[in-house]
Amino acid sequence: MKVELVTYRKGQARSVIYEYVPREEGERPMVLDVLLQAQATKVPDLSFRYGCRNRTCGICTVDINGKPRIACRARARDGDKVSAVSTLPAVRDMVSRRDGIARQLRGKLPHTLRANDLNVEAPADYHALTACIECYACLDHCPMHARNLDSGGDKRNEDGAYRWGSPFSLLKLQRIRLDPVASGLDGEKAFAAATDLGLEICRDCPGCKCGVGIDLKNKVIKPLLEAASEPTAKD
Amino acid sequence: MSMETVWLDYDVIVIGSGGAGSAAAHAASGAGASVLVVAKDPIGCSDSKIAEGIVTVRGVADDADSHEMLADNLRIAGGDLPTPEITQAFAEDSEEAYDWLRRQGVRPRIDNDRGAPRALPIPLGGHTHRRSVGHDNGGLSVGHAAWNAIVQGAGIDYLEDAWFLDIVTSVDADGRTVLGGLVYDAGKGRLLAVSAPAVVVAAGGLSTLYFPNTDTMRGNTGDSFALAMRAGAELVDMEQVQFLPFCLTSPPSYEGLLAGEPATAGFLGVIRDAGGKLILDSVMLRTRAECAAAIVKAVEDGRGTERDGCYLDLTANVKAERSGVYYRNFLETSLSSVMVTVRQALGRAAAECKEQWEIRPGAHYSMGGIRVDEFGSAVSIESRDRVKGLFAAGQAMGGVFGANRLGSTSLSEGPIFGTRAGRAAAALRGKKNEHFTSRNTDAFEIRLNHYRGLLGRSGDKAGSSLIRELQRAAWKGIGPARTRAGIEKFLRQSANFRHDAKKIAISDEGLWNQSLINYVEFVNMLDTADAIAISALQREDSLGAHIRLDGGTTSVLFEKAYSVSTYFDEEMNLKVGRLPRPPTPWQRVLTHILRDRKRKLGMKILRLLPVSLQDRILEKRYRAVMGNVELDGVKPKSVKMPQEIEREAA
Ligand SMILES: Cc1cc2nc3c(=O)[nH]c(=O)nc-3n(C[C@H](O)[C@H](O)[C@H](O)COP(=O)(O)OP(=O)(O)OC[C@H]3O[C@@H](n4cnc5c(N)ncnc54)[C@H](O)[C@@H]3O)c2cc1C
Ligand code: SF4
Ligand code: SF4
Ligand code: FES
Repeated sequence: MKVELVTYRKGQARSVIYEYVPREEGERPMVLDVLLQAQATKVPDLSFRYGCRNRTCGICTVDINGKPRIACRARARDGDKVSAVSTLPAVRDMVSRRDGIARQLRGKLPHTLRANDLNVEAPADYHALTACIECYACLDHCPMHARNLDSGGDKRNEDGAYRWGSPFSLLKLQRIRLDPVASGLDGEKAFAAATDLGLEICRDCPGCKCGVGIDLKNKVIKPLLEAASEPTAKD
Repeated sequence: MSMETVWLDYDVIVIGSGGAGSAAAHAASGAGASVLVVAKDPIGCSDSKIAEGIVTVRGVADDADSHEMLADNLRIAGGDLPTPEITQAFAEDSEEAYDWLRRQGVRPRIDNDRGAPRALPIPLGGHTHRRSVGHDNGGLSVGHAAWNAIVQGAGIDYLEDAWFLDIVTSVDADGRTVLGGLVYDAGKGRLLAVSAPAVVVAAGGLSTLYFPNTDTMRGNTGDSFALAMRAGAELVDMEQVQFLPFCLTSPPSYEGLLAGEPATAGFLGVIRDAGGKLILDSVMLRTRAECAAAIVKAVEDGRGTERDGCYLDLTANVKAERSGVYYRNFLETSLSSVMVTVRQALGRAAAECKEQWEIRPGAHYSMGGIRVDEFGSAVSIESRDRVKGLFAAGQAMGGVFGANRLGSTSLSEGPIFGTRAGRAAAALRGKKNEHFTSRNTDAFEIRLNHYRGLLGRSGDKAGSSLIRELQRAAWKGIGPARTRAGIEKFLRQSANFRHDAKKIAISDEGLWNQSLINYVEFVNMLDTADAIAISALQREDSLGAHIRLDGGTTSVLFEKAYSVSTYFDEEMNLKVGRLPRPPTPWQRVLTHILRDRKRKLGMKILRLLPVSLQDRILEKRYRAVMGNVELDGVKPKSVKMPQEIEREAA
């Protein structure tokens, strides 16, 4: 099986064709296995992120044939083309710069919840959102995040935080709104942050897709948009 | 290309953004310190995030569970190697630590009758009480909490994609004092010289030394231990590497991944050799070390499978119809991510426990670590003073678990000792005494020049392939089955690896210099591996996780406990010593042993009963703690896997 690895160094992209050597008969390796073997043999300093090999740490996301995939759980096929995700700035080989996403949430969520009673059950949707592994696959085709990269730019403030939001950021904000231990004020602050990050863009968007199957459309975007349409108490 | 150097000033540097690092940063900033968190992985992405998410909370399900009981439980399971002050601190702080996690968003299911988090229905292996709380989505909830504490932390700056390289110290008549540290900020392509009177090492473990026989994050290259040793600190119990008994052997992409812990076995699960012969019963009541030892010994005896494994046979649990439903519900709700992995790797019948699982021990955790007191502060070595300003928390620290760690204790350990170390570290702020006013640039420059000098170095070796060779050698020589000859051979190989390290080619790239990263991690792995090896030589009998095939077994009741300690002397030679450990009072050990015998006997009898009787007894037991579970109530979470993987894995 031959896989095309797109390396990127000192600003230059280059393709390397790597032939995978199966470890046992009939092996159907994941793309991460191919990267690991290439790094241990023919492409010694190949850069890529990985951690758990088990679809949990969320850091091994790469583009396979142009679509974001979790490398440790994506089967490699002959002729696959593997490159860094196109939705974030490339650093080296398959590694791209991630931290502008989380940074935009600094100060937008409570840093400690002060409630007296912690023994309250969270609703099922809270847990559904906690399933997020931060793989950033959802940045793909998100028109809100695309504004950060408009005309090939990379719009981050001096802290490195992106101006516009993404499904991930909205998920984090909506999660606080669902948390029974958070205060109403925390929820309002989160909602204001969602608005500021560009929530209105979601109205004209067919909706986002999550890399691990979280129903972002119904569990994140819809409730936020509904809240945005509600008349506020002051009106 | 040369790398720019940026000078920074903080009160506290925290290395690592897992459970321990995040709690340390939060506590230090809460105490008024300016904090820099440095993590080589994205913030929060750590073992704490990929864990099963089960947390020890004393007394959560049982009022009889006292501080003393939990502390004794840890020490006795740990072969009396843990430090009493440290296990006491663990027992006293576990509830507060758990509440800290909850204040960062961790939400358990609630037992409304008790008005407390709901504990798992079965105590994890070796625990005397039900005191482990599981969570929806496992460790992900802890990962989100760690992320929250750092990203939302007021007064906390953080850097990801940044490799902490070395702790910088000064030595004078008073001993050693931390001046700060060096960081390779790979994401921005620069070196950071950070001055700070306190460094908290929370950079996790060393299991990557045994890849692919491990279920942990790639970043566990022993950095915690190597950094601390090079800064003059002492390590303890480094021979005690926990090999989790049940990790997968195949298919290759799943090799080493977690398939469960003793409690997974339920009341009726047993371990069998390749020929089907029973090699360990009452698995659920055993410690991880006992289970791993049974497997390793069977394999060494030639009774293992082709892949050097044995079988975890859970089938008896599901033969009985009514209790079987409870058992499967327990697996699917308490160990949900494990069950997803097992289902993908071994198929549906295995996930339904109708087939045995082929398993093999895999590196999971280092009980050994930096020798510290109960506030996480490095303690003094016989002839030398403590390294002032050096703290450790989480897997990086030693003295908590000794020869064996019980399940669910590490996610508590992180916030317990992270908080303690963070507070203690913050107390040093403002102590920028004469050591800092001059900024001691010389001490920094020496280390900076070392790293600058590596850039653009030519050589005929690649760090990435040397790492692979080292991993193979470590598994053989200092892995789960050890002999003097094997360990000595490893030490010789390691000396050769050190020569090879000098020949690693390193590029001159500033941004994400992969060859530099590989070099740095390779050296850290070597330092750590040597500490394991010489500690393992020092302990000639088996104890807990340390299995010497060529030695006897240590008795907890009749032999004086000691810990092995390792450190570099002034000439950077690795030294080894022994630290006597105070025994747990024998009456308490005896009570513990008798209690354990009684439970094991009960379980043996249970196994011999006719299935229908087993079924009734077990259903009653499960129901007492789980409430009513609908007979058709086993809807495995794993069914919700994205279709793509389900299809491909089938
Ligand atoms: C699959 C699995 C399941 C588990 N399940 C449970 C469970 O259910 N309950 C339980 O109690 N325990 C469990 N454990 C154990 C537990 O998760 C870990 O022991 C614990 O999370 C360690 O926490 P830590 O904060 O010490 O280190 P980690 O969480 O591993 O964090 C280490 C941090 O250090 C950083 N780092 C490392 N080196 C450097 C460097 N040189 N420079 C900068 N940063 C660095 C990493 O990027 C990371 O941020 C499990 C472990 C695994 C692997
Ligand atoms: S929402 Fe889904 S796709 Fe986006 S980061 Fe989280 S897990 Fe990944
Ligand atoms: S719905 Fe909103 S967040 Fe989702 S993809 Fe569209 S613009 Fe992005
Ligand atoms: S390596 Fe962790 S999600 Fe792929």
